[in-house]
Amino acid sequence: MSNLIIGASSGLGREIAYEFARNSKNLILISRNLKDLEILKSDLEIKFKIEVNVFQLDFSDLNEVSKFILDNTKVLEKIDGVLFPIGMMKENDNVKNSNDDLISIFSANFYSINFFISHILNIFEEKKDGFIVGFGSISGAIGREINVSYSSAKRALENYFESLIISNLKNHIKVQFYILGYIDTNLSFGKKLLLPKGSPVNLAKIVYKNLGKKGIKKFFPFWWIFIDMAIKILPFFITKKIIKFFN
Amino acid sequence: MTKKKIYSLDKNYSADIFFKRPDKYKEIEIESSKFDNIITMGSCNSYTPASFRKNALSIQLTKFNRIIEFDKNQKLITVEAGIMLSDLFNFTLARGLWVPQIPGYPTITIGGAIASNSHGKSCGFHGTIKKQIKRIKIFHKLHGWLNLSNEENRDIFDLTIGGLGLTGSIVEVQLRLEELSGNNFVTKIIKTDSSSDAVKKINFDVKKETYCYSWNRSDSFKNFGKGFVFQNELNVSSNNKLTKNIKLNNSDINKNFIINFWNKYSVFFAQSVYQNYFKFFKSKQYEESFQKAIFPFIGKEFYFKLFGKKGFLESQIIVPFDKTEIFIDEVETIFKKHDPLITLYSLKNFKGEQKNLRFENDGICFTFDFVKNSKNLFFMNKLDKICEKYHLTPSIIKDSRLKLETIEKCYKDFNRFKEEINKFDNKRIYKSTLTDKLMI
Ligand SMILES: Cc1cc2nc3c(=O)[nH]c(=O)nc-3n(C[C@H](O)[C@H](O)[C@H](O)COP(=O)(O)OP(=O)(O)OC[C@H]3O[C@@H](n4cnc5c(N)ncnc54)[C@H](O)[C@@H]3O)c2cc1C
Repeated sequence: MSNLIIGASSGLGREIAYEFARNSKNLILISRNLKDLEILKSDLEIKFKIEVNVFQLDFSDLNEVSKFILDNTKVLEKIDGVLFPIGMMKENDNVKNSNDDLISIFSANFYSINFFISHILNIFEEKKDGFIVGFGSISGAIGREINVSYSSAKRALENYFESLIISNLKNHIKVQFYILGYIDTNLSFGKKLLLPKGSPVNLAKIVYKNLGKKGIKKFFPFWWIFIDMAIKILPFFITKKIIKFFN
Repeated sequence: MTKKKIYSLDKNYSADIFFKRPDKYKEIEIESSKFDNIITMGSCNSYTPASFRKNALSIQLTKFNRIIEFDKNQKLITVEAGIMLSDLFNFTLARGLWVPQIPGYPTITIGGAIASNSHGKSCGFHGTIKKQIKRIKIFHKLHGWLNLSNEENRDIFDLTIGGLGLTGSIVEVQLRLEELSGNNFVTKIIKTDSSSDAVKKINFDVKKETYCYSWNRSDSFKNFGKGFVFQNELNVSSNNKLTKNIKLNNSDINKNFIINFWNKYSVFFAQSVYQNYFKFFKSKQYEESFQKAIFPFIGKEFYFKLFGKKGFLESQIIVPFDKTEIFIDEVETIFKKHDPLITLYSLKNFKGEQKNLRFENDGICFTFDFVKNSKNLFFMNKLDKICEKYHLTPSIIKDSRLKLETIEKCYKDFNRFKEEINKFDNKRIYKSTLTDKLMI
């Protein structure tokens, strides 16, 4: 049996792969970058003596994802669970995005994940077991000037995972969703941020530890829950003023 | 892109730089394509400003830290160049293998060690890391991906080892590993009465695999050169596989206290305590862990911090065997006259052939650490003159103060190296503050 990680070649996905490997779990790794995946596979196999299979797949292309699912039904039937530490941002993602950008951002951050899970759910329901772990972003808590489509897709994803948790309360499928604040990956590297960054290594450990739990929705680093609550409690006209002040 | 202020370890240079730490192969290409001036950064543990330059991109490769291939029978390992020595050794030592020519701090990367042609404590026996490098893969903004070895792109291979990052980013490296017989060391302490005595005792048997270095007093002319030679030999009777991982200290070696604690009195006090500790409390022979013997600075990072915000200076010079007596004479003369404040004075054996900008030669390597003040700078200028007079080899990667004039006189290949770099990188994309000083 294997564990499937989508978006495994860098950042959080890579750390999750190491955490699973440290726990002697076989892996199937998916990402857009085959070269990075192959190097990761070598390192994991040499160091941890596990079996790793890799597939190049671009989640921003829904057709590619659909084809992958059709071509690899046998592989997917053998997985214990699937994790989606995937996120795609584009420069100049604002309120005036082009059609192509909208499609790729929404596909990578929402549609493809949703579509993939729909197929995996059938397999897990038949097996009466399996876990699904998704990762949202605090950017989805409120509208913004930059990363507009990304944050909208992440908000949609959060909603979808809430539905997923609720729909699987009565069976053996475990669903978890982590809403991420600042994480110390290359995306945030060198940036001056208002709050400290969370360690992806620590997050990977938490994710692994929680795999057996059902219906989790958590913030990481944890203090973002308070910011999220504040955003949700405050009337929009006040939030708007605060944003204006900081801008 | 945001900028970051960065300092050399000796604190003599700082710059506002653009900083990127890619974790995908494509990103190395993308980030490199955005800048006209680039320099690759390892862990930025260098004393000198070798991996940064004002307004240039420092592309840090520490996320490229994986093992790509390992062949135990052939004793070959292929790694990404951003791997830290501790991570590499935690893997190889458990299999009874290692690379002996490694610098004394575990967070240093293999890429940084190669670009500075590093040496270890056994450099009189093992030479420099150049010997262990079979193959290198670099990325250069103008030339793309290149495989380098004795068979392929030989000239660039030669320029890259000890080439201070000027031939582009070293991304992958294949290393020949050596067997390690034993998992700890037996350390013998031998008392020395003077610098000449230390040279004799350190140079006792270069054919033997010994990890030999000295610690000498430098607090006064009267004490100059007194101290000990430490001879670490592998303890073959111990199990030959290291089971314990190398532990990094959480202390950041690049952070300093605000003020300098080193002065005549504190140096005298520290050196007296150190000498008496070994004289009275340590037996003449004792066992030492691998970590302590090979990475002596782990846990002693405070030594650098004690220099404060103003930092320190280090001078490392290889003196051919037949010139050691005259060198010691000259140094003692200027020491007596100028009374510099030297916090550390140490010797080790060296073996190699000087080529390009590589810090390598047959002889004894003298190391001096200085508090940064005008008296010491004056003394160091005098040391430069001695180097120029006797054609000695001063270390470029250690001494950020070293002048172009001295380097030109002491490195016979300097101009040829410069020409070849200019030919290979005709737009001079890869540059650092250090190489600007060398006008390369
Ligand atoms: C405590 C301490 C002890 C030391 N002991 C020794 C010793 O015993 N022997 C010895 O030889 N040295 C020693 N050194 C010096 C050290 O080995 C060098 O300064 C080394 O280059 C530091 O490596 P780094 O990974 O920190 O690289 P950096 O300091 O970031 O860079 C150093 C140089 O390497 C280049 N570089 C780094 N990575 C790459 C890459 N991937 N591709 C191309 N170029 C690259 C940079 O451009 C730069 O020119 C010591 C340093 C310290 C701090």
